Amino acid sequence: MKEIMAILPASIRTILNALPPTVTEQLEEIRLRQNQPLEVRYGQQSSYITASGQLTSLASQGWEFTEEQSVKLLNQVSQHSLYALEEELKRGYITVVGGHRIGIAGKVVLDKGEVKGIRDVTSFNIRIAREKKGAAQKVMPVLFESGKLLNTLLISPPQCGKTTLLRDMARSISYGSEWSSSRKVGIVDERSELAGCLQGVPQRDVGPRTDVLDACPKAAGMMMLIRSMSPDVLIVDEIGRPEDGDAVWEAIHAGVSVICSAHGADVTEVAERPMLGKLIRQGAFSRYIVLSRTKGVGTIQAIYDQGLKPLKKEQVV
Amino acid sequence: MIKLIGAVLILFSASMVGWQIGRYYAYRPVQLRALLVALQMLETEIVYGLTPLNRAFVKVGQRVSEDVGKMFLFAAELLNTEKAQSAEEALRQAMGKLWTHTALRKQERDVLTSLGQVLGSSDREDQQKHLRLAVTHLQGLAEEARHEQEKYEKMYKSLGFLGGLLVVILMF
Repeated sequence: MKEIMAILPASIRTILNALPPTVTEQLEEIRLRQNQPLEVRYGQQSSYITASGQLTSLASQGWEFTEEQSVKLLNQVSQHSLYALEEELKRGYITVVGGHRIGIAGKVVLDKGEVKGIRDVTSFNIRIAREKKGAAQKVMPVLFESGKLLNTLLISPPQCGKTTLLRDMARSISYGSEWSSSRKVGIVDERSELAGCLQGVPQRDVGPRTDVLDACPKAAGMMMLIRSMSPDVLIVDEIGRPEDGDAVWEAIHAGVSVICSAHGADVTEVAERPMLGKLIRQGAFSRYIVLSRTKGVGTIQAIYDQGLKPLKKEQVV
Repeated sequence: MIKLIGAVLILFSASMVGWQIGRYYAYRPVQLRALLVALQMLETEIVYGLTPLNRAFVKVGQRVSEDVGKMFLFAAELLNTEKAQSAEEALRQAMGKLWTHTALRKQERDVLTSLGQVLGSSDREDQQKHLRLAVTHLQGLAEEARHEQEKYEKMYKSLGFLGGLLVVILMF
């Protein structure tokens, strides 16, 4: 929270400081829209905030976020240097110290039909990053077979804690755990979600032996890391394009273990997709971990082995 | 005897006044050059380094000569301590405080003020255009300052001495 407070204009900071502690603790999102009341999301609920920091369900009582405020906020966030945020404005979000994300919306500027950036930013969504360390504890034992780290595919629908789990796996492998000694980890973080880099420095704890290629296309990044950083493990989020598959295949045969994730509800569903299906049929992965939300975010639904047979419960524990 | 001492004092102070004015003409081109260097460094920092303004100001401030550099350092401090809400305000405040220490004129100040209004508030290309424009303006002014220096520096220096001499002659 401290990092977030530091980049907010004084007026907003005062209001948020007046929030009840129960709300502050569970704060997930701070939403600011020009000429609309300030809104916060906490736990599973959301509420407007009055000028004195009280929760209210009436939009008319909420503290209004004015144009002046929005200019100020963007100034603060960019450290008065919009030019330094060109890439971020193109992607639509800004990563700040602490790995928090600020999503932005407004008037999009095009250049030859492509998004060049956002001018007149009018909506901000400040998403507070909370680290859940230890998410990978349950799956770590099945990742190893006689000391070798197995190639693993993480399958999960959106918002089931896939990125969190992947990050925690990176951290555990990098630090070393009771199941293995520490290893060199390479992360290709195309969407800057895994490590939440700010100026190249990971803002999330991804371990001491981890190298991160931030904002790099996955396929190119995997090859770059193999050549330049000699990782033991490559960790990639959300593979899907045909070239990603080639890169994974290439990496596996370069003697590097690969842990990656893909959107999907189950192995059979993922196996239908052209690139992933090919990888699965070729036996690229030795472990498939399927996530769901049935028992809250990050529920491990099932773990399969290379032949798509579920691992026995006692092996999972 | 007293008259003689007075004469020496008058001659000395008159020369000093002339020398001071002459020095002003000599300093202006020097500081203008420093300012030009500063803006070109700022361009590199912004366009190629994508350095945020507060850090770019510090880098520039540390490398260009004192009086001009100090302004950038002060502006950076204002931004860091949130005493200024924008780059424009920071530059304006810094110039307000330190401008009189320089030999620069209002024309230069106008160039910097208008640059300050856009600094940091647009993309790289746009920043580059504005910085180049400011540099071109200042180059024109620098040219003019050099001409003035050639014309007036020596003139004021000798004028001071000769003026003093005239008073001394009239005294006797």
